Amino acid sequence: MPRILDPNDKYYIDNPGRVQAIQAEMHKRGIDVYLGSRIRTMSFVMDAFCPWRSYLIIPPEGQPTYFTFVVDSMRVADETWLDEDNVRAYGPMGGMDQTSAITDFIKEELGITKGRIGYEDGVSTWTAEGNLSHWEYTHFKDALPGFEWINAHDIIDGLSIIKDKGTIERFRTASLIVDEGHKAARAALENGGYKGMTETVIAGIAALAMRKAGSVSEWNFAGLNEISSGYRTGLGACTPPTTKEIQAGDPLMLDFHSMFKLALGDHSHNYLIGPVTKRQRWHADNFVAIIQTVLDNYRAGTTPGTLAAIMMDFAESRGCGDFIQPACEHGIGLFGDEWRIGAVVNPDLPYWTDQDHVYAENEMVVCAMQYAAPEENIGFRYENDIVIVKGGCEVLSKYPLGIEEIS
Amino acid sequence: MADKHVYLSQSWRDDALKRLQTELTPEKMNHVTTSMSNIYKNCPDGEEHFLFIECDDGKVTRVETGTGEPPQGVFRIIGSYETFARISRAELGAQKALMTGKLKLKGNLAKALRLAAVSDRLNKVLAQIPTQY
Repeated sequence: MPRILDPNDKYYIDNPGRVQAIQAEMHKRGIDVYLGSRIRTMSFVMDAFCPWRSYLIIPPEGQPTYFTFVVDSMRVADETWLDEDNVRAYGPMGGMDQTSAITDFIKEELGITKGRIGYEDGVSTWTAEGNLSHWEYTHFKDALPGFEWINAHDIIDGLSIIKDKGTIERFRTASLIVDEGHKAARAALENGGYKGMTETVIAGIAALAMRKAGSVSEWNFAGLNEISSGYRTGLGACTPPTTKEIQAGDPLMLDFHSMFKLALGDHSHNYLIGPVTKRQRWHADNFVAIIQTVLDNYRAGTTPGTLAAIMMDFAESRGCGDFIQPACEHGIGLFGDEWRIGAVVNPDLPYWTDQDHVYAENEMVVCAMQYAAPEENIGFRYENDIVIVKGGCEVLSKYPLGIEEIS
Repeated sequence: MADKHVYLSQSWRDDALKRLQTELTPEKMNHVTTSMSNIYKNCPDGEEHFLFIECDDGKVTRVETGTGEPPQGVFRIIGSYETFARISRAELGAQKALMTGKLKLKGNLAKALRLAAVSDRLNKVLAQIPTQY
């Protein structure tokens, strides 16, 4: 049974309004039908978790129709706000393969046999973005000979930049759930609890705490809860946990992820396991100061390029410019939207963050910084969902900023 | 030979309706309300035939055969005369015919799958009709 939308719910999203906004933009561009395929498009419109290869067909007016792999269509129909008949399936049957199901629906049920069709193409750093594959594009195009194909993903990208109240509330809750993971991890590690504990175990302890608090997924494609200890903290920004045991003298990075109503909690916190050297403390103090400086400079009207320059200048002034990676954020939205900032495809460097994007109120990013001194077997990571406001930013994880020493 | 009905003829249709109503109770049909049109391509007479079946609360209320455009059904299944004939002779399962692309389904697949067992029961009854293909 489809979900009933309640405007009084603090997590309410005006999903029909989103569809109307997309349709208005389609109308402006002369697009007769939109064929979405990216996960972020499904999340933005369906307001449901859509992990299988899916397609969203948005007509000029009225509800979209969603197609997914047949094994998951009933669950999605139960969780989305769309009418049951607007949640369809494709599967391994004559007439029901992806090409037939989608193109027959457009031609026969929508009655659109020619015109301009918007679709989603591009490139991303993460595998599961969901752009239309060459195979899909070729076969859909052959089955819809009367159509001009227009890459139109920027309609969704543009409309999803500014977060509405319900979306921000979801992110606030997701971030507080992540804090429960950090509290549980801290409690497990202190007073010698770290001894014999592996990275995978601490990831699981946090996962359990977050699940208890209402998280439905550690959503992150790069290793769920990412953990690194010792030399691995200096290896960069993707550290799926291993069975490596946490040792005395290690730096330790905990990057936890929660999902609440498709909003993505994401907070990294760092520790130094005693005994701590002066050099380790120096690195840690540098990183905390850099984070604070960047957070202090977020505000509506600034740009990613400006923030990165502030960060690098500050790091240089402390003598640690060699250790900080030259970027401080990535995009964030509902599940599947965790890539570049902005909606403009810069022709000189397509599908990367637009460094001149001007932040507006109620945009969200993950403030993300990586400090790495691999030759010294040390590194740190900071991530936190933030909401841009007029004169600053709201930091959503409330776990105290700092790099504590524990033993 | 004389007691066999020509496949999809009026007498075959009459026998089909009678058998479906007699042998399939609303309980066996899960009280479904639905309809489907089978479209027969490449028929021996060169024409395109159809078989239309309608159920209301599990009772088979309508069976129609004919040529040309069939009544509007919730589902439409398209295939060759030979494929449908093989299914009716129990030489080929309907599910296998769909899964190998010999039959093409049009309609809501999620809903259709919920009717797979009901569809099998229908086909088993139709397979019992003495038929001349």
